[in-house]
Parts: sequence; structure tokens; C-alpha cells
Amino acid sequence: MKNKNTICCKDIRSRIGKFISSLISIDAAWIQNHIENCPKCQRRLASLGKVYLAMSLLKSRPHDLDLLKNANMQTIDSLAHSVRHIPKAEKLRNARPQLKFYELISPLKNSIGNTAACFAILFLLKTGIFHSMNKFQSDGEKAVHKYFEKNLGSDLSDEIFS
Amino acid sequence: MLTRAQSYKLLWDFAIPESLNTSQKWVLSAMQSYGDQLITMLWRILGNEQDVCDAYQDTFLHLAHFENGSKPDNIKAYVFRSAGNTAISILRRRMIEKKNLPQIAARNKENSETVDLDSNTLQLQLRNAITKLPDLLRDIVTLHDLAELPYIQVAKILGITEGSARVYRHKAVQLLAVWMNKEE
Repeated sequence: MKNKNTICCKDIRSRIGKFISSLISIDAAWIQNHIENCPKCQRRLASLGKVYLAMSLLKSRPHDLDLLKNANMQTIDSLAHSVRHIPKAEKLRNARPQLKFYELISPLKNSIGNTAACFAILFLLKTGIFHSMNKFQSDGEKAVHKYFEKNLGSDLSDEIFS
Repeated sequence: MLTRAQSYKLLWDFAIPESLNTSQKWVLSAMQSYGDQLITMLWRILGNEQDVCDAYQDTFLHLAHFENGSKPDNIKAYVFRSAGNTAISILRRRMIEKKNLPQIAARNKENSETVDLDSNTLQLQLRNAITKLPDLLRDIVTLHDLAELPYIQVAKILGITEGSARVYRHKAVQLLAVWMNKEE
């Protein structure tokens, strides 16, 4: 019971969150209308934009690929003698930044998407969903045919469905 | 003549008693786990390779000698907070140094007057404003925006709730916006 309530509350909370964010998103029409006519808000928006721009500039500036290696070397050389030459330390001396998972797969994303689509089609064929869809369609046509036959007579309905 | 990094190294070699030296393997594990993220964060805060290396070294040396070589309860929290604090103090020092050099200060002033939206000026303004933030707000900006840690992890590191982290981050961005526009 308690669990059920928790799930329910979570669901409601996320819905409320989505609803509020749709209302007060910066793209919302009523906010855009206000900003158009309010110089104070225009200034505030511009200053916030400046902060975000500066942050994205900081983030977009890449560092040297050897920086991690150099920092590790400098640090390991100042640690205790006993750990300076163990295999882990040697590995760290040659460490390079690792690409994140989505960065690794980004060149392959189109092929991954296509393969996934092929598998999805294969799965649908295997489960017989296309066959069932054809069956539904022919059953539906038969029902409509019968309806027209009943109401308009067999000659007219044959003409329509021939 | 010794470089700054070499002199730090020698100082540490003399300062560390041998009894502490046996238990530093876990520091290497911490370096392996968080090194990459730390470097990214430090680079974004400092923007200078030598300073990044110094702050990184300082962080792990502090970790290795935390309470006579014992492990902190939350290594990640310790490492990220320590690195952030070290980087900010280095950044403050650099800013004071720049201000004290009249020629550079004059050139900076001239640059900021002529090219308002110049990328370097904007980055400098942001870094300057971040150093002025109160500790908690500054930690949230460095961890969430510069180290790109999700709110839930930032909250764990700082020992606050996720909601509080979001609220503090919002406040921090507002303060940054005000200060960055005043600097104009």
C-alpha cells in the first residue's frame, strides 16, 4: 500500500514538474511576450546569457591530451618511493583522457540506428505481427463488404469492392 | 635552478615521515578513478597547464597525508572539494599577481573596453566572479558546471539534498550574472 502510494506520488510529482516547466519555460509565449516589452527583464536575460556563454566557452576550450599524463607524473614523483614504480603507477604515467561512451559511439550512431531498425523489423516478422495485421485488414474488409451487401445489395457492393 | 614543481617535490620528500609512505597505493586508485574528471575541472577553473598540474599534485598529496595516512570516508568528495579549493586559491593568487603588475593591468583594462564580448575577457570575468562566490555556491558551480557532475552527486559530495543543490546553483548563477555585468 505504502509502495503504491510512493509510486503514485512520484508519478504525480514528475507530472507537476513537467507541467510547471512547460508553463514557465523561457520559450513559453506569455514569457516571450513579456520580455519583448520589459527592458528590465531583457537586461536580466542578457546578463544570464552572458554567464552561460562564458561557461560554454570555458567548457569548449580543450586541454592538451598529455595533461593528465603530465599531472600524474608530477604527482607520482612526489608520492612515497615504494609506490613510484609499481605497475599501477606506470600505467598512470601513460594515462590519457578516456572518451565518454556517447563520444565513442557517436561516429557509429547512424549504423547502430540502422541495425537496430533491421532487428526491430526482423523481430516483428518473427512474432508474426505483419501476418496478424494482414489478417485484421482482410477481416475488416470482409465486414465492410457484408455491411454494404446488406444495405445496398450484392450487385452494388460487388462493384465497389471489385 | 629548481622549477616550482621540482621544489614542491623535494619539499614533500623531506616533509613525509617514512612511516606514512607504506600506505599510498590507494591514492593511485583514486588517481585512476577521478584523475580524468579532476583534470577537466581544474583546467576549466585555471586555464593554465602548470597550475593544473600543481593543483592536482597538491590535492593527491593532501589525500595521501589525510589524518596520518588514513583513508577519508568519502574519497571522491574529499578529492573534488580539495581540488576545487586549491584551484580557487591558485586562481586568486594569479589575479592578485596580475593586478600588481601595472602594465598587464592597464592592457587588460584597455582590452575590456575595446572588445566586450571577446572570448578571453568573458572567461576571465567568469573566473574572477567565481572566486568571489561564497564557498558553498562556488563548490556547486565548480562541481556541477565545470566538472559536469550531476546534481545528485554534487549533493552527496557537499552533504546537502539534491533540491538544495539546485537552489544554490540558481543563486550562484544569478550572482555571477550581476557581478559579470558590474565589471563591464
